[in-house]
Order: sequence, then C-alpha cells, then structure tokens
Amino acid sequence: MTEGAMTEAGPLLEISDLSIRFGGAPSNLVDGLSLRLSAGETLCIVGESGCGKSLTALALMGLLPMPPARRMSGRAVFEGRDLFELSLDQLKDIRGDRMAMIFQEPMTSLNPAIKVGEQIAESVRRHRGVSRAEARAHALEMLCRVRIPAPEKRLDEYPHQMSGGMRQRAMIAMALANDPALLIADEPTTALDVTVQAQVLDLMRALQQESGAALIMITHDLGVVAEMADTVAVMYAGRIVETGPVARIFEDPQHPYTIGLMSSMPDLGPRGGRLVTIPGVVPPADAMPEGCRFASRCPFAAPACAEAPPLRDLAEGHSVACWLAPLEAVEPGAAEEVA
Amino acid sequence: MTAITDPQLAQPKTRSRVWRKLRASPSALFGAVLVGFFVLVAVLAPVLPIPAPLETDWMAVRKGPSLAHPMGTDEIGRDVLSRMVWGAQASLLAGVVSVLIALFIGVPLGVAAGYARGWTDAIISRGTEALLAAPFLILAIALAAFLGPSLSNAMIAIGLSAMPVFVRLARGQTMSVMTEDYVESARVIGLSHRAIVWRYILPNIFPPLLVQATLTVATAIIAEASLSFLGLGQQPPAPSWGSMLNVAKNFLEQAPWMALWPGIAIFLVVLGFNLLGDGLRDALDPREN
Repeated sequence: MTEGAMTEAGPLLEISDLSIRFGGAPSNLVDGLSLRLSAGETLCIVGESGCGKSLTALALMGLLPMPPARRMSGRAVFEGRDLFELSLDQLKDIRGDRMAMIFQEPMTSLNPAIKVGEQIAESVRRHRGVSRAEARAHALEMLCRVRIPAPEKRLDEYPHQMSGGMRQRAMIAMALANDPALLIADEPTTALDVTVQAQVLDLMRALQQESGAALIMITHDLGVVAEMADTVAVMYAGRIVETGPVARIFEDPQHPYTIGLMSSMPDLGPRGGRLVTIPGVVPPADAMPEGCRFASRCPFAAPACAEAPPLRDLAEGHSVACWLAPLEAVEPGAAEEVA
Repeated sequence: MTAITDPQLAQPKTRSRVWRKLRASPSALFGAVLVGFFVLVAVLAPVLPIPAPLETDWMAVRKGPSLAHPMGTDEIGRDVLSRMVWGAQASLLAGVVSVLIALFIGVPLGVAAGYARGWTDAIISRGTEALLAAPFLILAIALAAFLGPSLSNAMIAIGLSAMPVFVRLARGQTMSVMTEDYVESARVIGLSHRAIVWRYILPNIFPPLLVQATLTVATAIIAEASLSFLGLGQQPPAPSWGSMLNVAKNFLEQAPWMALWPGIAIFLVVLGFNLLGDGLRDALDPREN
C-alpha cells in the first residue's frame, strides 16, 4: 500500500475543520477542530468532561452513532485516506490494524465470556488471516510485551480473573497486536489506582517507543500530559483553544483557560491556601455563545471576545485562540490574578 | 485454598461459582433431583422390567394397584405404570423439543431486532407483540388444531406459542449487551457483525435465556398435557399423561388411580423444572456476584 510514502511525506493524521453536532442542537459539540499528528508523535488532548475530546476520538474510529450525531464538516486524512469517506468495510479493515483504541474502563472492555488470549488472537486472525495456533502464539507474545506475569497462564484465563491493571494491559496488548500506526487512548488510566496508573503509562511509553506508533491520549489529568505528551491540545467546549509543544504549554500557557487549568492543579508539599478554581461552568450545548466560548468565565474578557477568536500561531507550533494572546501585551497584574 | 494465598485468584471461575450456588440451594437441588428422576425414567423406559404400554390384560381391567400392576390397570387392562413411564418420555420430549423450537426461532429474531434496531426491530417487535396478545395456551390450541392432531404438531404449536417470550428476552438482552464497552472494543478491532453476534452477544445473553428456557419447559409440559387431554397432542393408543387424564376422567369414581398417577407426575415434573429454573436464576444473578 501507499502507507510508507504517505507517512514520510506528510503527517500521519490530519484532521481539518471537524464539526460534530447532535440531533437538532443549535451549536456544534466539536467545532472546527483541526489537528496534525506525525508518525510516532504523542498528542495529548486535554479538557474537562464534555468538551468533545472523546467525541473526536469516536468520530475518528467511526464509532459515533450517526444519527443522532452528525458530522457537519471536516476531513480526517489518515495515511492518505479520508476516514470519513471510507465505507464501513474499509473502515473495519483499518480498525484494529492500522489504528486501534483503548478505552477508559478496563473492567468492562473485555468480553467476559471469552478467554483473554482468544480475544487478543481474534484481532490478529481478523487482520492477518493467520491460523489459530499462530494467532495464539502472537497473543502470547503480546502478553509478554505488555509485561503480564505468567503470560502462558493468563492466556487461558477469563477477564474476571484479572485485576484492573492487568486487564488494561490485556487491552493494550489487544490494541497493539497488529502494530497499528495510530493508537487512540481515551483516558486509559482514569479507572486505575495511582500506582497502577504510573505502571501503565510507563508501559505505554515503552511500547510506543518499541513500535513507533503515534499516540493520541485523551485525558483530563495534567500529570499524565506532563509525563506522556510531545504535543498538547487544550480543548474547551468543543474547540481547541491552545496547542503546542508540551514544554511551552506548561511554561508559558497563553490561553486564559489553559492558565486556569494549570493553576487548578494541586502541588505536592505543604498546603498553600485554597486550590484555584475557574469560576462558572461550561456553557450548555443549547446556549453556546456566538463568540469565544470561554468569555463568560474569562477574567480578561473584552468586547472583542464577542467574535470567535481564530487559532493563531504565536511561535513555532504554538497556537492560541484568544484575542489577547500573547499575554505579555496585557497588564501583568491581571495575569497574576488568575495564575 | 489458593484464593487466600494469591489475591489475583480471589475470584473463582464463574462456572464453578454458579455450580456452588446452585448446590447450596436446597430447593434447586430438589428440583434437579425431580427433573433428573423423570429424565432417567424416560430414558430407561425400554429397559425397565415393565409390560409394554399397549399390552392389554383382559383379566385385569381397571384393577387397583397390585403386585403385578403397582399402579393398577386402565379401562382396557393396560399397565398404568408402564404407560406412566412411556408417557414421561412423551411429556419430557414435548417440553424440551418445543422449547428448543422456541429458542431456535425466537433467539435469532430477538438478537436481529436488538442488534439491527430500526425497521428490522419494528417489524419483529410488532409481530411478537401481536403473538403475545393471544394467551399462550389458546394460541397453542389454535395452532395445534390448525396443524392437525399429533405429538410432533403439538410440539411445533407449543414451540411457536412460547417463541415470542424468547424474542423479547433476546432482544432486550442484546440491546443491553450492545451498550457494553466490550462490544465497542470488538468493533474497534474491526470484527464483523457475525463475529460480534456469535462471540460477544450470544455468550453473554445465554444465562437469562437458559433460565427462561428451563422455566418454559415446565409450561410446555403442562401445555402438552393440555393438548393431549383435548385430543390435540399424543394420539391414542400411544401413552401420554394428558390423554391418560382424559380417559381417567370418565372413571374417577371407579378407578381414581388412573387419574391420580398422571396428575402427580405432571405436578412433580413441573415443580422440578420450576425449582430448577428459579435456582438457576438466583445462581446466575449478576447482582449477587
């Protein structure tokens, strides 16, 4: 196929102007979203619940129930092909093979009626057309790769015999079984204990380095972002408000929402006063403001915010959707108030 | 045992857990013993030391229980015990086969409705509701009368009448399983609809179907007895508990045993299947896991 040529020439995945709306809602739940992802890159999409992160991921996988969901506009070119233009059969050939997904809830993401090894083997057999024995051998190898202890034994166990962390490892094994070029992980560690979280993140990073897969990680945990991301995209109410290399976003956040997110993250060490919160709530989908969607909660809101700010480049790879960026232009006192 | 030393193994296998819960319930155990007893009797019918069910003994017409005929004889001198044993075969066969018919037609329809939704669902569900509107036994009688009186037609009639319940159950269960994350992850790895239905839906809707099937066997046995009583099931002279009751009602005063044994047998086998079904339901109940 043309994969090799495509990935070297351009980005692995390029989403442009994706808008998704539900039923007869008056505004888009994902609005004009554009993203680029190169091979091997890790992109973290950050944002609070309901900001459209998961919706975007499901849309990419073709898993969004349509109707009620409707794609209003947009393309998602993956390895040279627009995912939204593919037939269901073509999409099924890509799913689990070139792109794979890991879900949030490892306790419910495995079929309780099938042995774990068979579930992994199923994906291999589906896409590689190998024999049962070969698929089983590959499943065993995958269980080894995700560092599950006693993999030969686990192969023949049912999901309920495994702990949450182990099931998530099995899910990862299943997702990576066919060496996908893109892995989408929707809050893969949210349901796990903190210590297990760290192990799973380490594992994902190690496997990503081994396989060279690109990773889209959806999370609301900035700790995860700091640990995993090359690039960060901050989403708010369906739009990307800021995107850039992880170091820049953490050192020099420009969008008031990003600043708010950063400062609402608790630090280790002695308690130094109340945790900062962002006042107000996300506007509901049926009452989305015309202009900047963050304006109602923004300490810097100005008359200009009645018009939606475009995503503008501030520096190499760092773009912000705010009329006030770069923030140095605003009087410094105001920034301190938030940060 | 190992569960204590290894926390990873703390949860025993589902199957053994179901077994344990089933065995721990006295009523389920009693039900299983009753069902087992009748199944054994029915299977062993050809080898048991009893007279043939159609063999008449003109010296013993309508005689009460005796050594030669432990359950007495009927109006033309046939051994009631033998007819009970062979009748068990007819009753159990009718119960099981009609439920299998209901399962084989009902489950695919229900799964199709729950999986495809939309028009498929609308058509199948409306049809099911129309069938459910008619009372079970009335529908079975009408179908049996339409198909013509014979044991196999009675089974078909009972099976078709019992089918809507399975359509409904399979549809609802499918819809609920479809919302599970593991079905989503099956789609994510690109599995076909067929694979998803066979490997992800059917195994997971099996437990409630098993419970319903067990309970329905009891209903089907009563239905077969009813149809045979009305002359729409097993045809004379072949033995069946229902037709035995039909004849016995004419001799209630002279030969009450003729009615007593089939009545007791129907009661016990139905009780057995109901207790077993209830026990299975409790044992498979995920809320108690």
